[in-house]
Amino acid sequence: MAAKKTRTPNVQNDSWVVIAAESVIDTQKQDSDPAFVRLRNPSTDAASLYMLGSGDVQLYEVKAFEEDFHSWFVGQTVQRDGRLLFVTPMDPLYLILPYLIKSGKEGKFQPVDQVVTDEEFPACSRLLSCTRSLASMHHIAEEKEVGSLKFHRYSQEKTMDWLKKKVERTVIALKKRNISVGEGVKSTTYVKVKSESDSNEEDYLRYAHGLISEYISEDLSKALLTHLHLPELTSPKETEPRSKKRKLSDNPVEAGEDYTKFNSADFARKPPKKMTAAQKSLAKVDKTGMKPLSSFFSPKVKAEKK
Amino acid sequence: MRRAGDQCWGRWFTEYVSVRFPKKEELKALKVADSKTLTEAEREKLFQNLDEAKSYVGWAVNILSPNVISTCMLQRTKYNLNTLSHDTAIGLVQYALDNGVQLKEVFVDTVGPADKYEAKLSQLFPGIEVTVRPKADSLFPIVSAASICAKVARDRVVKGWNFAEDLGNVDADYGSGYPNDPKTKAWLLKYLDPVFGYPQFVRFSWSTAQTLMDSKAVTVHWDDEEEDGEKAAQRKNNRSMLSYFSASAGGNDQTPTHQTHRFFTERRLKSLDTL
Amino acid sequence: MEIQNLFVSDFLIDFGHKEPAITVFKRRRRPIQPITHRDWRKPEIIEFASLFTARMSCNSSVTRVHVSSVGQTPRVPVHLMPCEIEHNGPAQVSQYLTATMKDRKYEKTVSFRGRGLKGQELSCPQGYTGLVLKEINKTGSDQEDRTVKVSSVFDKVTYWNLETAPNSDDTIVMAMDWPELAEAIHGPVDD
Repeated sequence: MAAKKTRTPNVQNDSWVVIAAESVIDTQKQDSDPAFVRLRNPSTDAASLYMLGSGDVQLYEVKAFEEDFHSWFVGQTVQRDGRLLFVTPMDPLYLILPYLIKSGKEGKFQPVDQVVTDEEFPACSRLLSCTRSLASMHHIAEEKEVGSLKFHRYSQEKTMDWLKKKVERTVIALKKRNISVGEGVKSTTYVKVKSESDSNEEDYLRYAHGLISEYISEDLSKALLTHLHLPELTSPKETEPRSKKRKLSDNPVEAGEDYTKFNSADFARKPPKKMTAAQKSLAKVDKTGMKPLSSFFSPKVKAEKK
Repeated sequence: MRRAGDQCWGRWFTEYVSVRFPKKEELKALKVADSKTLTEAEREKLFQNLDEAKSYVGWAVNILSPNVISTCMLQRTKYNLNTLSHDTAIGLVQYALDNGVQLKEVFVDTVGPADKYEAKLSQLFPGIEVTVRPKADSLFPIVSAASICAKVARDRVVKGWNFAEDLGNVDADYGSGYPNDPKTKAWLLKYLDPVFGYPQFVRFSWSTAQTLMDSKAVTVHWDDEEEDGEKAAQRKNNRSMLSYFSASAGGNDQTPTHQTHRFFTERRLKSLDTL
Repeated sequence: MEIQNLFVSDFLIDFGHKEPAITVFKRRRRPIQPITHRDWRKPEIIEFASLFTARMSCNSSVTRVHVSSVGQTPRVPVHLMPCEIEHNGPAQVSQYLTATMKDRKYEKTVSFRGRGLKGQELSCPQGYTGLVLKEINKTGSDQEDRTVKVSSVFDKVTYWNLETAPNSDDTIVMAMDWPELAEAIHGPVDD
């Protein structure tokens, strides 16, 4: 067999296979064409591709299904680019939110058209034309009306309630769609470790929170986690060095002020390997009438010391 | 029993001949010989003789289409020609037994190692005396007869080939199907489609077809194809370079701090920064 | 700083953003207009500002989708192939592929370039439609507005796996979950 050829870049791509919400091509009420625009992605702060429907009344998100080594046959043609684009309706509030938060730091009520502006992404002001934008602004901001003018101020409290509702909606959809939300590994080579029935409510909540977090900043994502009463999970790799650090410095200092804390289960499990400065100074203190430090340590620690 | 043909149409038959009454002299009288040493006309003549001798010679062929052969040979988990040949032969013996033929002896032609093959068949069919030999068609008249049946049947199928593809009137003057036949060569050049290559009539695994497609058809890449190590590494490097650049251009959503949710990664869904 | 040399190499050093980074202006055909060094004392600043503007305009360009003709657009069969075909253009799909496809009970089978494929048909999710967009008057520039038209429409996709039978774990099948999940994430919430 002949030697395999290396792949050349596909530079001349000029066609796309798309699955789009029917409203995109609704020719009934169109007065202008829909358009792909670049806007600031609220999660990454970088440019992402979106679509504004006819008359800017609806915002759409653009996602590409992309697997290596794929191409399309479209009718009697080949399209080398094997991606499948999904154009799905999107809530414009996710994109408006970062601008509102930014201006909210000043604590003033402001007209939104002065808030939602971006030199780098001029199309962002068009978000305010979306039917849902102004109508749903109360989900993320306090409103004040002065005459015919409306002013808004970002409200974290409202936003959290709004995002919580988003999470709840998403949980329902995940269950309905039977989507595996457990931590089980799923790939072609590994079988699902956990079946759907093993997934508990928390798994669903965390999964839905993760999905919503694709549309909000990291800070907001963390705040939402707290709002949902979900403790923050950190990967073992990250926690390990941090906890070590804390054990070596923080705790003994506390102990120096109130050494009964040595007795806490937490400390007993992981005692400091070295005497810290605080401990050393404690050791110099007259200890008559005091229990020796070692008596506060658990037997396990003693065994370790031997 | 033998197989026939390494033509590009690769119609590749395994067939058996069962001799109901082992009249060896009579078989010799039929003057069957190694089919390769015969012309097409001679083969046709001998085939007729065999057909007329149906009172003591019966035959059956198992036809493997070139498409079956190429999809097997090019399969991810390699299924080689020898295994395919063995499985087909086994199928034919079983077919004879299922049809009430009282088999006593089986003669098999092979290109691979004969001993192992013979042992395999003997084990599968206890009570039958199995003889496997390379070039069995020139050693045993019964295998010669089989090879004539195979070649004639193949020639007829190739001549009257019914293209599954919707190609209108296909030029039937495609020659013998051997790579050195000018007619075959001309046909292969004429019927090369830049995207699809060839109709299923042509064995894609055949090196002559591969070479022609490599030079004249558009390149197709499969995810299980082996890439030259260095080049693959280069491509990966190019990729990461590009993704780095587009990320810093503020385009890609794969910033180091942002990890896309597994709902999307599992579904190979990602954001775009440009159409 | 010799700006025009940089254009030639297709890379631009972007100092205008938050952090120094290298920016690639993909598929750039026309260089940005050369910078006039009016303020010769601070040439760099002018250059950087110019680069920054260039990038901004790249974000401000839009791609209009001509949808008015969608009613007259032909409905075509679409096949997602498990291989990369290095070609954009005509192909005798109906003659070679459609004519040799076999419909089995749980799968379709066909062969392409001598390899066995197994596939199935997927319908577009409820409320969705398939469109093939084609760029018209391609400029090759990232800064100018572009236009695409709907060149064909489809309501189902036939996808093919290399040798493996189609099943619900196929990524394309899973990807079809997206529109329904998107509706949950983006649909209006109750007050």
